[in-house]
Amino acid sequence: MQDPEFKIKNFKKISSTNQKAKELALRGTVPWTVIVAEKQIAGYGKEKVPWFSPQGGLYFSIILPKSKIEDLQTLTIISAFIIAKAIKDNFSLEVLIKLPNDVLLNRKKVAGVLTENVIGKDVKLSVLGIGLNTNIEKFPKELEDKATSLKIELGKEVDNENLLQKIVKELKEQLKTISE
Amino acid sequence: MKFKLKIKGKEFEVEILEEGEDRVKIKVGEKEFIFGTEEEKKGVSLIQTSIPKRDFSKKEIKAPIAGVISEIFVKEGDFVKREQKIFFLSTMKMENEIISDFDGKAKEILVKKNQEVKEGETLIVLE
Repeated sequence: MQDPEFKIKNFKKISSTNQKAKELALRGTVPWTVIVAEKQIAGYGKEKVPWFSPQGGLYFSIILPKSKIEDLQTLTIISAFIIAKAIKDNFSLEVLIKLPNDVLLNRKKVAGVLTENVIGKDVKLSVLGIGLNTNIEKFPKELEDKATSLKIELGKEVDNENLLQKIVKELKEQLKTISE
Repeated sequence: MKFKLKIKGKEFEVEILEEGEDRVKIKVGEKEFIFGTEEEKKGVSLIQTSIPKRDFSKKEIKAPIAGVISEIFVKEGDFVKREQKIFFLSTMKMENEIISDFDGKAKEILVKKNQEVKEGETLIVLE
């Protein structure tokens, strides 16, 4: 069941959830719309570094309400904590945060956050993208030492939908707190 | 010599009262005006000030936040439209696309790629 506090748009395959979210935000899609993709063809992180995004992972971007830049910065940092907490609470795994944007498990990257803004006179639009390696079975050789997934660490699959709901709900709550 | 002049639908009666080598005295309606070499100069400056002023105040785009200019999308001399993408400004936590607030020609780009900028620093001046 969808939470009425946010709206989820699912895509089977997409170039990048952040890209899509930006497009939709420009066309007037309402804040707290969440773009979810089963896989991204051109997922990226900071400085456009590719984010390995095969089927099984949880890739989503949230169209944020117009906020102050300082609040968005804070929210980006907080989102890493929220992801880390969700992993710890749900799976009892030891999580580390590599400030400001990455979440590590076993010293390997398990999640990343990228906030993108379009700024003119004021903030025109903001999207917050999260890539979470949930049910990825194997990484390519060049990433094996740098990335891991919940499935690899736990030895079992996790519920993407459940994690998504928890993370978005928490982010909404936190933004409310820092903006008011 | 008298003649009538119609400006924007309104008729003015103009009479040339004096016509010297460097001086002309005319009467428009009930008012007299003298134009000479000196008066002409004054006249010109008066006309200039009466032209509706164009907005020459600087159109500057400043960094909304401290960061690094990771990409520049325009060159000096380019015509920039309002809302056109001009820079990517990367910060520790975010990627920011800086768009123009104005239409105008890129007069001066004050930053280079990979340059660190402070909040409030002017990045580009348009004209």
